Amino acid sequence: MYKYDHIDQTLVDQRVAQFRDQVSRRLNGTLAEEEFRPIRLQNGLYHQRHAFMLRVAIPYGLFSAKQLRTLALISEKYDRGYGHFTTRQNIQYNWVTLEDTPDILAELAKVEMHAIQTSGNCIRNITSDAFAGVAGDEYVDPRPVCELLRQWSTLHPEFAHLPRKFKFAVNGAKEDRTVLLCHDVGIELKKNTNNELTADIYAGGGMGRTPILGSLIKQDLPWHVLPSYLTALLRVYNRFGRRDNLYKARIKILVKALGPEEFARQVEGEWLHIKNGDDNFTQAEWNRVAQHFTKPAYKSLTALSAAQVIDLATEAEKAAFARWIERNVKSHQVPGYTSVILSLKPHGTVAPGDVTTAQMLAIADLADQYSFGELRATHEQNLVLADVEQSKLYELWQEAKRQKVALPNVGLLTDIIACPGGDFCSLANAKSLPIAKAIQERFDDLDYLFDLGGISLNISGCINSCGHHHVGNIGVLGVDKDGEEWYQITLGGEQGNDAAIGKVIGPSFYADEIPNVITNIINTYVKERTEDESFISTYRRLGVAPFKEAAYKDKLENAKKKDEVGDKVAAGDAS
Amino acid sequence: MSNTNTSSAHLIASHQEIVHFPKGGKPALAANEWLVWSGSQDEGGLPDLEHEAHKVLAPFTWWIERHHEADVIAKAKNGQIGVWFATDDDILKHAELIEAGKQYWPLVAAYFPIFRDGRSFSTAALLRDRLGWNKEIRMIGDVLIDQLLQGARVGFDSFALRHDQDLNVALQQFDLFSVTTQNSWRGKRSLLATN
Ligand code: HEM
Ligand code: SF4
Repeated sequence: MYKYDHIDQTLVDQRVAQFRDQVSRRLNGTLAEEEFRPIRLQNGLYHQRHAFMLRVAIPYGLFSAKQLRTLALISEKYDRGYGHFTTRQNIQYNWVTLEDTPDILAELAKVEMHAIQTSGNCIRNITSDAFAGVAGDEYVDPRPVCELLRQWSTLHPEFAHLPRKFKFAVNGAKEDRTVLLCHDVGIELKKNTNNELTADIYAGGGMGRTPILGSLIKQDLPWHVLPSYLTALLRVYNRFGRRDNLYKARIKILVKALGPEEFARQVEGEWLHIKNGDDNFTQAEWNRVAQHFTKPAYKSLTALSAAQVIDLATEAEKAAFARWIERNVKSHQVPGYTSVILSLKPHGTVAPGDVTTAQMLAIADLADQYSFGELRATHEQNLVLADVEQSKLYELWQEAKRQKVALPNVGLLTDIIACPGGDFCSLANAKSLPIAKAIQERFDDLDYLFDLGGISLNISGCINSCGHHHVGNIGVLGVDKDGEEWYQITLGGEQGNDAAIGKVIGPSFYADEIPNVITNIINTYVKERTEDESFISTYRRLGVAPFKEAAYKDKLENAKKKDEVGDKVAAGDAS
Repeated sequence: MSNTNTSSAHLIASHQEIVHFPKGGKPALAANEWLVWSGSQDEGGLPDLEHEAHKVLAPFTWWIERHHEADVIAKAKNGQIGVWFATDDDILKHAELIEAGKQYWPLVAAYFPIFRDGRSFSTAALLRDRLGWNKEIRMIGDVLIDQLLQGARVGFDSFALRHDQDLNVALQQFDLFSVTTQNSWRGKRSLLATN
């Protein structure tokens, strides 16, 4: 993985010193909160419901065992013994203090980490495929491009105060695991017929209150001109993006208002003047960065069949092990190797994506022992050991079970993406974590979950959509009605190559109705599906009607009962 | 410290001192000769340059309308007029006028209505990269200590800070980073510079 040179290291060290001074000016009152706010946000520091929250970047999701140990140390020393992995390949701490933050950032800088631009109206941490460099379906390893873009965007002066936050995702595999189309800019890497690295650029995607999928605005852009092209794109957005209304300030609104063609034309017009400048990446820069993403020292192994792998387990454990292999182990480019997903969603957890200090330390050891000391954070709030020998899977599984990160629910209904919601977030309309927990408790039967197959269920505590409810096959959104917490259901959302925005099915529900509503929706799927048909395919075939009817079934029956009771009472009164 | 000139309602800001940081030079405090005029005076005429202030930064929109007038040209020729760009002035649409203005204006400015409105960063970048402006560009408006570094890197070389800002702290901002990871008006990214 990438290793800082003296330039990167000097930059993060100096950044810590800068922030230390800014914090001290804040604390002595010479810097007002209003003016400190964007500064702390660009250093990853939020003010949440109860305390400060620090969001640490894991650029394109890749980190080392050593870094994870530092993250563990921070959780122990400065927080309450846990951290929270997010959908955008960051880790958050919920209970830090302003005073401690410069010290935390200094600890991070020691292991080549930072919290720069994990928040604020600037170019955010760049995300990518958690399986970059190892995925069986990858045609371009996106990591060198991600790293070059990380450097280019870090403390970019012209784009430090954009109309709104700005998120890039980069993909280079057949299956899109980055939710490319829900980003302000999605960069799809390709090889052209001359085997040259190029990029297709999608712009104007995003969730929030106006969910929109990005539009293709540029094809076959040579990789090295990305900085000039993206400068042109950001310049158009910076100058003409709306600033009068927070909700209309994202680039998606500008792209929609102008139309993708006109937006593309304006970017092109701007780019013409700078495309041949020296902002572009050089081959020397590529060489310097790419050398860090060469393959690790793989052994030459012969690939094992699934049956051979399963045979590693004792008779009693075969079935459970096979299940884990099926859900949590992914194919690899190198024979004899696999990638393993550690589930951070054991049923009944406090929050999807949470890990304790002890777990972090243990997982760091697993990374050292089984995966060249490297880890990845996934968009679904899980962790990946990317380079595990097939012959060691059984051993690893037992360790993972001990750490409670071996639940074979990856991609299943209980692999829930959820934002922190009302338990932590001051913007929330409703809690998300208890809903996630209640659903996991309801669907605690692994056989049944397996039978249901791949289904995504995403929960957000408000319309900001941090939990990506729009792209969940089933989405749950917290809404506020007269000061009470309600939940709206969307169906038909999908991430990946067939990305789609879910549709709201109707009036919202109470928290305690949600497990039944989900059950009714799932039962409808089970009743209607043809053999091997996934939830989303059944939904697409049948449309919303049967699912909607099922979702409101209990509500209708309850209302009927109430009416009957009401009628009786009324009748009694009359008599 | 500088203070606001309150004698004329049509002046939006006046500073005794500004921070001047020429490319290749050192940041230092400098005496200020320029009044920033909002252009909102009823008659639409310039402030009295004989008595009140000698030199004035006028709104670019005002310049667009008035630059043909003899009086304006005379003062401009005399080096008494510069212009400032509002955040929504589309400078590229007026590239020719700016080209022509180069012979008159000793400096131009770009305005920050609030510090977190970063449009004027792009204005400065375009003035430098695209429109070839090579004289002074001043940051005016809600200019805070913590925005100076970005300003300096996109193309600003003088800074009229908001009046409550500590100019000594301001002067220290420019040395905070000895490396950069992207090119700027002041230099190449560290990697290219050292190669
Ligand atoms: C302190 C807690 C948080 C706050 C205050 C917060 C705030 C916000 C806001 C205001 C938006 C809406 C942006 C917009 O559409 O303009 C948003 C979107 C989003 N947030 Fe968060 N967030 C928080 C935590 C999280 C967490 C924990 C995650 C990941 C699990 C996350 C990931 C996202 C994503 C993916 C979006 C949608 C991005 C898009 O529309 O492109 N946020 N957040
Ligand atoms: S979706 Fe809303 S409640 Fe959830 S983290 Fe984002 S802002 Fe907070």
